[in-house]
This record gives sequence, structure tokens and C-alpha cells, in this order.
Amino acid sequence: MPELKELENKSLYIIREAYAEFKNPAVLWSTGKDSTATLWLCHKAFFGKIPFPVIHIDTGYKFKEMYEFRDSLAKEWGFNLMVAQNKEAIAEGVGPESGKFECCTRLKTQALMQFLEQEKLDALFLAIRRDEHGIRAKERYFSPRDEDFKWNYKDQPLEMWDQYQSITEDKTHTRVHPILDWRELDVWEYVQQENLPVHPMYYARNGKRYRSLGCEPCTFPIDSDASTIDEIVEEIRVSKIAERSGRAQDKEKAFTMQKLRALGYM
Amino acid sequence: MNINVVIIGHVDHGKSTLIGRLLYDSDSIMEGRVEEIQKLAEEYKRRFEFAYFIDSFDDELKEERTIDTTGVMFKGKNLYVVTDVPGHKEFIKNMLTGASHSDVAVLVVAAEEGIQEQTGRHAFLIHMLGIKQVFVVVNKMDAVDYSEEVFNDIKSQVSQLLDNLGYQAIEYIAGSAMEGDNIYKPSENMPWYHGPTLIQALDGIEIFHEVKPLRFAVQDTYQVNSDKVVVGRVESGSLNKGVEVVFQPSAIRGRIEKILAYEGELDKAETGDSIGVVISGGEPERGDVFGLVTNPPTSSQEFLGEVVLLGDELREGETVELRCGTKRVQCHIKDIREKLNSETGEVISKHPDHISEHEAATILLNTEPIVVEKFSDIPELGRFVLVRSKNIGAGIVLEK
Repeated sequence: MPELKELENKSLYIIREAYAEFKNPAVLWSTGKDSTATLWLCHKAFFGKIPFPVIHIDTGYKFKEMYEFRDSLAKEWGFNLMVAQNKEAIAEGVGPESGKFECCTRLKTQALMQFLEQEKLDALFLAIRRDEHGIRAKERYFSPRDEDFKWNYKDQPLEMWDQYQSITEDKTHTRVHPILDWRELDVWEYVQQENLPVHPMYYARNGKRYRSLGCEPCTFPIDSDASTIDEIVEEIRVSKIAERSGRAQDKEKAFTMQKLRALGYM
Repeated sequence: MNINVVIIGHVDHGKSTLIGRLLYDSDSIMEGRVEEIQKLAEEYKRRFEFAYFIDSFDDELKEERTIDTTGVMFKGKNLYVVTDVPGHKEFIKNMLTGASHSDVAVLVVAAEEGIQEQTGRHAFLIHMLGIKQVFVVVNKMDAVDYSEEVFNDIKSQVSQLLDNLGYQAIEYIAGSAMEGDNIYKPSENMPWYHGPTLIQALDGIEIFHEVKPLRFAVQDTYQVNSDKVVVGRVESGSLNKGVEVVFQPSAIRGRIEKILAYEGELDKAETGDSIGVVISGGEPERGDVFGLVTNPPTSSQEFLGEVVLLGDELREGETVELRCGTKRVQCHIKDIREKLNSETGEVISKHPDHISEHEAATILLNTEPIVVEKFSDIPELGRFVLVRSKNIGAGIVLEK
């Protein structure tokens, strides 16, 4: 069986397991390539209609090209787009100058927390992958978070074969990771194979392109001339530079990512 | 080919170091990562360690031990997904989580220590998980002056251990992950050693897929346009449009009218495919399993399992939940037949009234109707987990 087919099969299985096990799931969509691929897998799993909401966390610091891309895809694929925002923190003026840890926690994690509570969601599909970061490599397919959103990474569930732990208690939720096994290259090859639309910032302009997309102030482009999907696939195939090397919050201090994730960051 | 490899063995015998070495020598480390780790080592006032490529938690680096399982990938002749697992007894559940997704195992034994507690336990557990291809690396050969005698001694100890558990290693490799001997590059320090490097051994792996009867596990039913689509996965065998099938335990019989993927109708589906089917004749439910009428699944209510417990004690007479495939049933612990030593597989006692954390046993289980298969026939439906507010144990079906 070709590799992508195998990866897709497992992702579809995970998505359908979670949909059967949880009452009120939703999928998180950053508009980046990984979560767009995950959205597409959800679209395929349910034969063309995603039966749960698609959440976008808007920090207010996103690239302006994002909004157009977001709204046009929502229309094209016909899903229920919901936008989560920590209005209180934005009103207080929280931003990158408040410190990256504070900014990510308040504008992303807390925005999500408020939204989860408001919508009473018990499961969240997330497009994290093992090969992105050492901390994400330690994840389970179904990963519980307690009512304070905390990830108890020192005591993760037994998760053998495809027996995912899906116990739901009040106010807790489970993170579901359908593309945990995928590599960056797999995602781009999948984008190529399925002819998926991607955020325009991934394509090179004037010798630079974004390889990983976060908020505008904390994401930096890489040198690249890859301006088509085929060229991006080829670039990733030979690259030895880490994918998230342009993401400030991963690098600020050792273990910033672990601390962010322990508090419920994605 | 994609091969999942799990690296097992006792604490501090060099599992994470071995993976770090594989990544480093195969040129799979991202730019800047070596410098990052050098900086980290200085911060902790330690020497540069290959294990730092793998261990990522703050606590793992501080305590110099692996806490949870990690998957990393690198390319040789095959694409390897290498799973690191912790060597401490307290983290056995993380070890099992990692090992359960693997096709082959590499058992690491430190030359200066030989067989230790988790060497035996890990070997026992991967045997139980049905991992038949095992390679042994006698590691840290540099610490015993690359002595052939020590290597031969450990080789005979380990082959005795594996023999007692009922299997054999494919290869014994004399190496040093720290120094890079015979892991990715051949060593010049052991002229007496004529075997392969670890990567040569792994590149020689062949994975055989036996032809097995059709089993399809039902996940759910969706209404798609005018069709009721039964979604799930082909766990074993293959499926053709038009065949007659039987669902169990619901005892529905029907014909496969359509095989569906998002892209449209298919004529055929293979093992591993996540698909939908439209059937004539009844509505199966989540947890059902179907197979061909000529070789159908059967529903069981009593079977013998081999179980390893990862949670608090399990008592004879108690009821827990059992999950196999997509089915959940109540499960009565009817008779704990034999308690096994999870380091050697030997019988410790007969008919104990309970087993404790990290212990293994053969147990007669009484359940609500469920499709299970003998693990040796169809492993995909011959393995189960036990649940008591969380996943507390795992097992395989010995007899039904």
C-alpha cells in the first residue's frame, strides 16, 4: 500500500473513532497546511460534510491574507466556521511585546479555553505532528486535558494498538491527533495529491516564503524560490532545516514549548 | 517500505543514545540541532549526549532518563519509524504504548551489566505483543575493552532468556552507541566480529503479510444522501463488492451493495482500508465485526486471555470493561488461572485471587457477546484492553 494511503487510512480511522466516542467534538483550524489537511481528512471521513464546528482562533495578529483564504474555503467546503477570540486580553493590549509566553497563553490558549467552555466541547481535533517538535513527538493520539486545560505529560494514558482512551469527565476534554504520524513532507505530498488549496504565504515571493505559519510578529520567512506546490515538495524533500525554525515561541528559551503545552497550548 | 522499530532494554543500557547515534550517523539531524544540544549540555554542565536528540522533557534531561515514548523517523533502505521507550519499571505503560505499534524490536543489553530486570520484562512483553523479529545489540562494548569473551557470554545469557520465552533473536550485534561502533558504521575496534551493523541488519528485514480471512470492524453508521453507510476498517483479508457477509454479535446477514470512499464507489478494499459499505438486510452497529458467510466471525462470551496489568490490582470476581476492535463489553474476571513472572514468563502461582500492577496472568474472561479471534490467527482482533475509569491492562486471546 502506498505510504500516503496508509497514513490517510489511519487518520480517517482516528477521526471516526473520536466522532463515535465523544458527544461534542470540534476541529481546530489555523488555516496552515497541517490543519487544512486535517480539515480535508474530516471532510473525506464524513463523505463531504464535516458534522462538527471548525474553530479558528483569531489572535488579531494573523496575516491579512489569512482572512480571505479562511472565509473562501469555509464557503467552498461548506463547513460551520466559528471564530474564537480572547476579547478581554485584546482589550487589555496583550501582544508580542507582553512576552511570547504571555502572548501565546492569553491570546491562543485562553481564547480556546473560553470557547471550549462556552460551547461545552469535549474533544478537539488538532493537527500536530510528531516530527515538528520533540515535545509533540511524545503525544498520544487521544490526549486528555484536565479542567484547567493542563496536560499531565508525566502520566499519559496507556494507548496500545488502536485502543484510544476516551473517558470523558465533566469539564475535561480530549485532544485528538489524527495526523500525529505524518511528516512535513507527507503533508505537502498530500496537498499535491489531493490538490488542496493552501494559504498564499507558503509560496515564495521575492526569494522568501513561510514554511510554518503563526502570528505575523512571531513568524519569519525562509529563503526560498519555491512558488508552486511541486517546488515546495522538492524543497522539503532535501531540506535539513527544521520546519519551525521560523517560529519564535519554540526557541525563546529551552522548554518554552513544554511549558506552553503543559498549560494547554497546542 | 515503512518499518516500525522499537528499541527496548533495561534503564541506562543506552536505548536513547543508540537512536541518537542512528539519527546522527545517518545525517538525519536538522541543522542547528547539534549546537542547540551542545548549549543545553553546557547549561546542565554535562557532556554532549546523543540521547539529547530524543529526550525532550525538561525532567527527562534533568533526571537523565526517558519518561515517555517517542517516535522519530530516519531513512535507510527503508523508512524507519523508531520508537524509544523508557527503561524504568514505573513507565512500563509508556513502553507498551510505544511497543504496540512496532513490527520489529531491538533489545539493547549493556556489556558491563548483562541481563537486568527490564531486559527480561521487555523481552517478555514484546513476545506477548507478537513481535517476532528481534535483534540484540550488546551495547557499551567500549566499556569492556571490546572483549569478544564478554560478548559471547552475554550472547549466551540472552539467547537462554529468549529461548525460555519461546523465541530467538535474528542477530546479535556487538556495538557501542556512544562511540558509534557497528550501529550505522562498521567498527574497527572489534576485528573478531564478522556480523552486520545494526543498520545492515534492519535493512535486511522482510515483513511477510499472511493471507487471512476477511474481518471488518464497524465504527459507525452515517446517512450519506439516500444511503446508510456503515463505516469502519478492513482489519484482515480483503473485500469485494457483491459478497455475502455476516455481522456478529448482531447476527445480521447481508450483501455488500456498495463499497464507498469519499472519491466514489470501489470494487474492492484491502487490509487497512478505512471505508464505508452499503449493505442489504439490516442495520449493524458500532462494535460489530463482519466476515464472509463462508468464513464468518463468531460471537464469544468466554475466552482465555493473557493479560498484563498496568493499573492497580485486578481481583478475581470483579467486573471491568473490555475493548476489542471497536466493541466495548462488560468483562467478568472469572478465573485467574496462572500468575506469570513478567521477567521470565514462568508460572509463579496457580489460581491467585488477584494480580498487582506490572504482573501478568492467564485469565478466563466472561463477557457480553463480542467477536474476538485467537491472537495467533488474527492479531488485529485477538488483542484487547481492560478499562476501569482508564485503560488499566492489555491482553491477547489465547483460546476461545
